[in-house]
Amino acid sequence: MVDRRVEVVGRLKSLEESAAPLISFLQNASLVQELRPDKQYNLQMLNDRFQIGPDQIEALYQYAKFQFECGNYSGAADYLYQYRALCTNNERSLSALWGKLAAEILMQNWDVALEELNRLKEIIDSKNFVSPLSQLQNRIWLMHWSLFIFFNHENGRNGIIDLFFQDRYMNAIQTNAHHLLRYVATAVVVNKRRRNMLKELIKVIQQEQHSYKDPITEFLECLYVNYDFDGAQRKLRECEDVILNDPFLGKRVEDSSFTTVPLRDEFLENARLFIFETYCRIHQCIDIGMLAEKLDMSYDEAERWIVNLVRNAKLDAKIDSKSGTVIMGPNHLNVYEQIMESTKQLSVRTYMLAKNVSESAPAAQTAR
Amino acid sequence: MASRFWTQGDSDSEEEEVSDYGDEGADERVGGGESAGALAGNRYLQGNASDSDDSDGQRRVVRSAKDKRFEEMSATVDQMKNAMKINDWVSLQEHFDKMNKQLEKVIRVTESDKVPNLYIKALVMLEDFLAQAMANKEAKKKMSSSNAKALNSMKQKLKKNNKQFEDLINKYREKPESDEGEVEEDDDDDDGSGSDVAEDPNAIMSDLEDESSDGEGAEGDNQLGGGGDWQKQMSRKDKLMDKQFMKDPSEITWDIVDKKLKEIVAARGRKGTGRVEQVEQLTFLTRVAKTPAQKLQVLFNVVSAQFDVNPSLSGHMPISVWKKCIDNMLMVLDILEQHPNIVVDDSAEPEENETQKGADYKGIIHVWGNMASFLERIDVEFFKSLQCIDPHTKEYVERLRDEPLFFVLAQNVQNYLERIRDFKAAAKVALRRVELVYYKPQEVYDALRNMVEQDGATGGQSGDADSDEPQLVEESRGRPPFVVTPELVPRKPTFPENSRTLMDILVSLIYKHGDERTKARAMLCDIYHHAILDEFSTARDLLLMSHLQDGVQLMDISTQILFNRAMAQLGLCAFRVSLITEAHGCLSELYSGGRVKELLAQGVSQSRYHEKTPEQEKLERRRQMPYHMHINLELLEAVHLICAMLLEVPNMAANTHDAKRKVISKTFRRLLEVSERQTFVGPPENVRDHVMAATRALSKGDCQKTFDVVSSLDIWKLLRNRESVLEMLKCKIKEEGLRTYLFTYSSCYDSLSLDQLTAMFDLSEANVHSIVSKMMITEELHASWDQPTRCIIFHNVEHTRLQALAFQLTEKLSVLADTNERAFEAKTGGGLDGLPRRREGQEYSGAAAGRWQENFVPQGRLGGGGGGGGGGGYGSRVGGRTSASGQAMGGGFSRDWAGQGQRGSTGYSAGYQSNRYQDTRGGVGRTPYQTGSSVRGSQMEGGSGRMVTLNRPGRI
Repeated sequence: MVDRRVEVVGRLKSLEESAAPLISFLQNASLVQELRPDKQYNLQMLNDRFQIGPDQIEALYQYAKFQFECGNYSGAADYLYQYRALCTNNERSLSALWGKLAAEILMQNWDVALEELNRLKEIIDSKNFVSPLSQLQNRIWLMHWSLFIFFNHENGRNGIIDLFFQDRYMNAIQTNAHHLLRYVATAVVVNKRRRNMLKELIKVIQQEQHSYKDPITEFLECLYVNYDFDGAQRKLRECEDVILNDPFLGKRVEDSSFTTVPLRDEFLENARLFIFETYCRIHQCIDIGMLAEKLDMSYDEAERWIVNLVRNAKLDAKIDSKSGTVIMGPNHLNVYEQIMESTKQLSVRTYMLAKNVSESAPAAQTAR
Repeated sequence: MASRFWTQGDSDSEEEEVSDYGDEGADERVGGGESAGALAGNRYLQGNASDSDDSDGQRRVVRSAKDKRFEEMSATVDQMKNAMKINDWVSLQEHFDKMNKQLEKVIRVTESDKVPNLYIKALVMLEDFLAQAMANKEAKKKMSSSNAKALNSMKQKLKKNNKQFEDLINKYREKPESDEGEVEEDDDDDDGSGSDVAEDPNAIMSDLEDESSDGEGAEGDNQLGGGGDWQKQMSRKDKLMDKQFMKDPSEITWDIVDKKLKEIVAARGRKGTGRVEQVEQLTFLTRVAKTPAQKLQVLFNVVSAQFDVNPSLSGHMPISVWKKCIDNMLMVLDILEQHPNIVVDDSAEPEENETQKGADYKGIIHVWGNMASFLERIDVEFFKSLQCIDPHTKEYVERLRDEPLFFVLAQNVQNYLERIRDFKAAAKVALRRVELVYYKPQEVYDALRNMVEQDGATGGQSGDADSDEPQLVEESRGRPPFVVTPELVPRKPTFPENSRTLMDILVSLIYKHGDERTKARAMLCDIYHHAILDEFSTARDLLLMSHLQDGVQLMDISTQILFNRAMAQLGLCAFRVSLITEAHGCLSELYSGGRVKELLAQGVSQSRYHEKTPEQEKLERRRQMPYHMHINLELLEAVHLICAMLLEVPNMAANTHDAKRKVISKTFRRLLEVSERQTFVGPPENVRDHVMAATRALSKGDCQKTFDVVSSLDIWKLLRNRESVLEMLKCKIKEEGLRTYLFTYSSCYDSLSLDQLTAMFDLSEANVHSIVSKMMITEELHASWDQPTRCIIFHNVEHTRLQALAFQLTEKLSVLADTNERAFEAKTGGGLDGLPRRREGQEYSGAAAGRWQENFVPQGRLGGGGGGGGGGGYGSRVGGRTSASGQAMGGGFSRDWAGQGQRGSTGYSAGYQSNRYQDTRGGVGRTPYQTGSSVRGSQMEGGSGRMVTLNRPGRI
């Protein structure tokens, strides 16, 4: 251990030494002000005035990496930021960016990390990669790292859906990282506003069901593919365990004396809602007692819950308290409305078409 | 063969006048004549043993002819003596030439390799005299110019000529008379080995009698033209040459062999060169080759000569030749193994004398040759022979047993190529191996493995060793070849436990190193093999990720066939794992044109509409798959029709008012119409009848009868897991029966209880609940559950006729608007939002060299995002272009094919992918199973778009 320490310290010293000129330069704020956006110019200037050549810049990179390995993440992040401003090598700049992202994540600077993530994503998507394979791998890495951010950042739940549902990223998941489906699924279930993604998610889950399966995806499958409500109920219970045991999903929040897992609660709440909604859609008449049982609630709780839903106009239903049932309102559209609906759009389309034609006709004439 | 003797007889009579007797000649005649007679009898008895009378008569002729030959020769020698006396070099030269010619005849007549002593004596005399003449400078000066010229040329000729008889001459000089007995002994030895060699050629010769007789005539010419050159003598017959060489092993130098080799090679392909004989000659040369490199060179020539044996494209190489070819290749590999410094390449012509370097030479020796292409050629021949042989004969089975032979060769060649790091070629060879294995299910593979192992256990006595053994024995009995190569390469193929493992090894090698076509083919084989092993999802992912269906119409026809086969197998696989929609998607395109046989290359289908030219038919015949690789067509048809039935019957029940609107399987609809038109329906006979009977039962909701009819088909016994498949089928039939029932009779009920339905269709409650729920969600069924009473309440929102018509009208209007928009987009070129994104995807796939998985940018999904209009337009444009290029590429038939393939594959990509991806426009909460109808709708739209734009190239 001691030897190792000596060795490490020695290495630190040597790296520090080699990077010293540049670091001292960077620590001088007024000098840094002189740097301009133009990289070539900067390099030129550094070389002329401070005798800082590519070697020193390279040393800075090594030094930052070493700092990172030693656990000095903030220092590493700073140095890497500076390095990026100076380096010309694309590949190096990319790995510096990765380093920065890692450092920010480890420091739990989620906002900064998110910025870095987006920057990295741009570079990865910008297709100047050696091989598509490495691009794919980079994407998958990015997605894995992003899990840290998205499940900690307050806006992360939208972010994860936005990122993962992009075609390229979804393809990457389907190709090489099926296990990420769990997080996508959870994010979709939890996120009320992104309900429209559900359909797409279900499709992906179905495609991949032979290669990846866990209670969360199975829950969605039971509910939306097989309409097996009992099965969904069972899976939901399994989901709870999964969420509690998952490092990302089962994040505990200490709240004075007792701990809660916010995500679990949200997930269960939303999942219940899903079940109920689907159930209502195909039923005309439901016994509240049965419903309460299915939703793991007492009779009164369930009744209150339904009343709330009805009051919030989410549900077109009435409660028949005498027989203890919920009666759904008729949910099919009027025939005339349907026809009007489908024709309304036609006029707009035709209008657009006519406009386009009349616009392009003179253009074509003048071109001739 | 008899004709040869008669022609000889003719030439005899011409020269009879000048004949005279010599002492030595008489001696010789007695010895030689006897052996010749015996030999001739033996040979020709084998050749045409049927008419022994004839051969008897011939023997007498032979004897007299032989006498005459010697008389002629001794006369010539006398004349030469006379010429020497008067120092007349011109006439001496003439006589010398004449003597050589006569020698040839003598040797031919005596059928022995022995040169008559008379001849040797004359040579010695001539040599002495020549030396004397050369020494006498004054006399030389005095000679006339023509005489001097003749002297010089005589000197040259004699030198050249004597070289080959050097040994004999020396012997003669040592003890002029006494070597008679010794030579005789020699003679016997050689005869023994000679006749051994002769066995094989004879066998072949009987195969190809016409050809050899062809060569015979040409040889006669050759002899007349050829003067004193000894080499001409040898073209008579391999055996002759054999003996000539046998005579003096030490004398044969590299040069001689090289020269001979060049001569033979030069004669290749020339008119009148006997192909079989060439092979024999070359085979002999391998025996006498001096250095390993030279042997290699000769062996390569042997192999290519063996390929030449079969001249026509449609016929196949004789099997015995094929086997020998394999042996030769193995020998080549032995040599290469033994001498790692020999490099085989076909890029640069090696130096003249490179092969002269001996076995101990350490540097790199280049030899011309291309192992991979030889191997491919062998494979092609094997394939062709299987195509030609009637599959119901024993011969076919025998031929199939040769497969391990080829397999071992391929394995060794691949090992060799990998050793020299020529991975490109190794990938090609690996593909050949893949193509031998990919269609074999595990059972067949195991059988093959067992066969090979058993062969190994019995010590190489049976099976493939058959051809090996005699050859080896013969070699050891005859002269030992100059370059002895131990058998270094293993002669038994090794098979991994599992066919999948083997495939994986080979395929990954190909993906790493192969070129585009090799990779594509390997991929298809891989898909096929996965499908056989019931790994549908893996096979499907491979197919989709590799984007093969986009590019397949640009590939060569045999790859297209392979693609079709893979699709068919994939369909069967999907059916086995109870994915009905997918199975139908895979198979429907194959059946849409009604020419499955042609598409799978399993027989020629007659087309009513256009006659094929003989060339087309020939081409087609050449493409056929050998019988053992066939996919059972009945099974395929049954699976296709049953899938279509399961999808179509509920669909028809759902859309009773306008049945034409949503058609899933046109083929099925057509068949149904035909069968409905029949006045009387007999008991079902073929697959079609069965399925039609089942359809009638199913549409009435009678599941049990449906299942009975379907399961009575006897093709099910072809399936491995028959029980489970039938079980699955039964379940599916019940489910679809339930759906059909609900569609048909929902209007008649106000409510239906769950219990009643479960009892009626013998399905579990959960299952019924799930099915009905699905139908409710997708709004196929206007009903809802009444939970407390467990009933289905039907809402009965039947539209009036007017309302239904109004709906139809709006739908048609929206189609019109769609078409208009598409037309506008096509005209202006704008709005094809599908285009750029799709390009991107292609770029991916183009760039992805290493991993196929990388190409995973499902275009269906991209296209779906881009909107129906744009996607459709672009797709159709591609279609148009490819069919046009197909036309340009090759005549009527290839155009036919391209058209077919293109239609098929766009269909695949549209139909197949859309099943999987393209339903982004579906309603809320739809599941893939239920989206069926909406997807189908969009597919149809796409189809109509294709029709529209396919015509566009003509208009614009």
